[in-house]
Amino acid sequence: MDEKGRSLAQSVWTRMDRKAGAITELTIRQLRHRVSTWVVLSVGALVMALLLAFYIDNIRDEFEPIDNDGDSEDQDNDGYPRGQEEKFGTSDWDGEEYPGSGYYIGIGEIDWNDDSRIHSGNHTWEGSGYLDAEWIDVDYSGNRWSGIVDWGDVDSCDDGEPLEDWWMGWGSACIYEDNSYFVNGRFKASGSVNVPEMQYMEWGYFTLEEFVEPDPASMYIDEDGIDWDGIDVNEIGIEVDDDGDCLAIQNDDNRNGIPCDVIWILDADGDEIIEIRADYNVNEDPAESEFEGEMSHRTFIIGTGKMAFVLMLGIFIPLFLALGLIRDETENGTLHYLLSKPIHRAEFILYRLLGYLLLTGTYILVLVLIMAFITSLIAPGDGLVRLSDYPVWLGVGLATILVLAAYGALYNTIGLIAPKYGVYFCIILGIWEFIMGMFTMTLPSSTVPMLSVSHWALQLIDAVVLIAWPDTLQYALISDVFGMDSGLHFFWAPPEHTLETQSPVVALLVSCTVLVMITLLMIAIGQSSFKNREIM
Amino acid sequence: MSQKTPAVVVDQVSKWYDQVIGLNDVSLAIDGGVTGVLGPNGAGKSTLFKLLMGRLKPSQGSVKLFGEDPWVNPSPYRRIGYVCETERMYDWMTALDFVSTLARLHGMTREEATARAEHVLDFVGLSDVQNKEIGKYSKGMRQRVKIAHALVHDPDLIILDEPLHGCDPIARTSIMSVIRELGTQGKTVLVSSHILEEIERITEQIVILNEGRLLALGNLHAIRGLLDKHPHRILLTCEDPRKLARRFIVENPVYGVRFPNEGQLEIQTNDLSAAHSILPRVITDSGVLVESIDNPDDNLEALLGYLIGGSS
Repeated sequence: MDEKGRSLAQSVWTRMDRKAGAITELTIRQLRHRVSTWVVLSVGALVMALLLAFYIDNIRDEFEPIDNDGDSEDQDNDGYPRGQEEKFGTSDWDGEEYPGSGYYIGIGEIDWNDDSRIHSGNHTWEGSGYLDAEWIDVDYSGNRWSGIVDWGDVDSCDDGEPLEDWWMGWGSACIYEDNSYFVNGRFKASGSVNVPEMQYMEWGYFTLEEFVEPDPASMYIDEDGIDWDGIDVNEIGIEVDDDGDCLAIQNDDNRNGIPCDVIWILDADGDEIIEIRADYNVNEDPAESEFEGEMSHRTFIIGTGKMAFVLMLGIFIPLFLALGLIRDETENGTLHYLLSKPIHRAEFILYRLLGYLLLTGTYILVLVLIMAFITSLIAPGDGLVRLSDYPVWLGVGLATILVLAAYGALYNTIGLIAPKYGVYFCIILGIWEFIMGMFTMTLPSSTVPMLSVSHWALQLIDAVVLIAWPDTLQYALISDVFGMDSGLHFFWAPPEHTLETQSPVVALLVSCTVLVMITLLMIAIGQSSFKNREIM
Repeated sequence: MSQKTPAVVVDQVSKWYDQVIGLNDVSLAIDGGVTGVLGPNGAGKSTLFKLLMGRLKPSQGSVKLFGEDPWVNPSPYRRIGYVCETERMYDWMTALDFVSTLARLHGMTREEATARAEHVLDFVGLSDVQNKEIGKYSKGMRQRVKIAHALVHDPDLIILDEPLHGCDPIARTSIMSVIRELGTQGKTVLVSSHILEEIERITEQIVILNEGRLLALGNLHAIRGLLDKHPHRILLTCEDPRKLARRFIVENPVYGVRFPNEGQLEIQTNDLSAAHSILPRVITDSGVLVESIDNPDDNLEALLGYLIGGSS
């Protein structure tokens, strides 16, 4: 004890709250006085604004009905959408076939090697042969057939065997001096036809044409929706093939003996769908406002949380704000003022990071809440504000803040250990983290991405999503089975690290713990490096 | 209380940076009063201070502040104020902000810190500009802010690394009086400089460092007394050097005169204090107007030259 009654044996780690307050406050004020801080934070805000614009634009689009099965299109340009053609059994690839079009019915044919090669009658013919005609329908223009013989332009036949000794085009005829013809193509006539060997002729008739009113294309959009409202799995009824395109062919892909139905397989508790087996063409075109709107909304939140918050802000903010937390003070020499106070160097690192985290954490939290508020206003759903979105957004915020802590501690330590080249290390690390983040999303179960910080943050978001919106699992299955392409599959999968409990809460705790452990480890490494550092 | 440990104990300390020796086997014990640490640039003054402040680890020997090793334990800093050499400060802060923020690192509350900061800023004479940004301060004002931050917790030991460096004469005078005042308050003050005259105006107790070695330790007058017995020059700038020369040449301590420039007289002596004691009388008797009196040999280089020459 000295004369002032102060004990030197007292640890310097005393009055931590006041010292912590002073250092964190100083750090925040310092960061606020740097242009780079504002640039980075503004870029972050700008990206979010752009994403919001995208979102607003997209949500409007998505609410417009989408033809999931493509049957509103008219591929053969005959004026009838595919759905209507399918009902009438006509092809959407052949412009001559359409609902109400007459179609050809063959009666007989002379093949290239048949013995009997002469046939007489009043028919519609198709092929090649000598025609001794009683009557020819010279005006016959066919039923959108091609290769109709043009009787107004018939030349004299040359000597020799037609098609053997000389060539004539499909859809033409020539005349001999005895007023008989050689015909190559389609035509309507009464008479006898002699088919040379190696040639072919078919005869029959066309059914009568009738006019069928073409359906508007919109009739074939959202014509076969999911009959369940997506909320309570206990209310799943029997799915019906609303547009009849499955019933027409009596499809039974799921082999339960009932054509055109959907089997929903629930888990043991009966409150979660774990598999969907649908017959082909059942529920293939659900209404967007019911499922795809909700799914796109969730995909947007998850995608924004993962790509923009964790992978972009999470990696870039620390690069600009944390790398120099101690390094810059050392380089400027201002560290001397701080270290001449009774404060342990390890303590100093801790408070510096705390200050950085308070600033960036507040920023992230504000940004997340703004995003949550705006999207919940625009989002689909009956309520004005979707309260169930907020936990997810807060989860995104938590994941980002933990990432900022982990990277902040890591980058600060790198800045301490390698003041000169630290920034390059950090950039390489950032790229590694980004790649591992992408792998985490595409191959969630692979083990290599576990060596990254981003993996655990993305898993954390996956877990929070499943806690806040348990039915996301159903949405993912529905989008898969009924062909609704929302991107949910890319951005979200159930969390991996549940320690075999399948519980998203466990996954959340595991991810948080890992991220905190990484942070503490990095702080400890930084502290031990800084403690033994001589400061010039 | 019972056992009084000296504020500063440096025991056979050496510090080298790779091949370069910063400090070579220096031993010191300092307690109470103002001590000037004198030495040319690169003598090891900053190295010594950085060892004291736990920035550097001694390559050999031990450093103790109030009995604690500052490299291991920063707790002595609650009783120490340090004015570092660094000129960079947080320019965007006001002086009051700067000092009170650093005061809070002593565990003071915000209110305590602000009150103490106002007090010390007043002590160094900056109370009227304490709410201005440091970036707008002159060199001398910045130096005084640095001193204020070192005094904010009422330390027992104050270490000032070149506090007068780069200051204008007015700032210099006010900083010197602040340091002297601290000495009279019973604090232990260590102040470094490479200018003898500055130290002389502050204190008599000095430590002389050169090329990492401790050359001398003790009272400046005693050291200087040794120096006085050596050939010394006094340079007078006056109206009629020749008339004055005639008066001086007959005096006992003076053994020679020279006229280096027009209007200048150089007196050569073996006893500087004796020469100075006759100086006023001779000048008054001669009636010659003297503009200035300079001691060209009375500087650190001369002192070092003597000390090195004497020791070898």
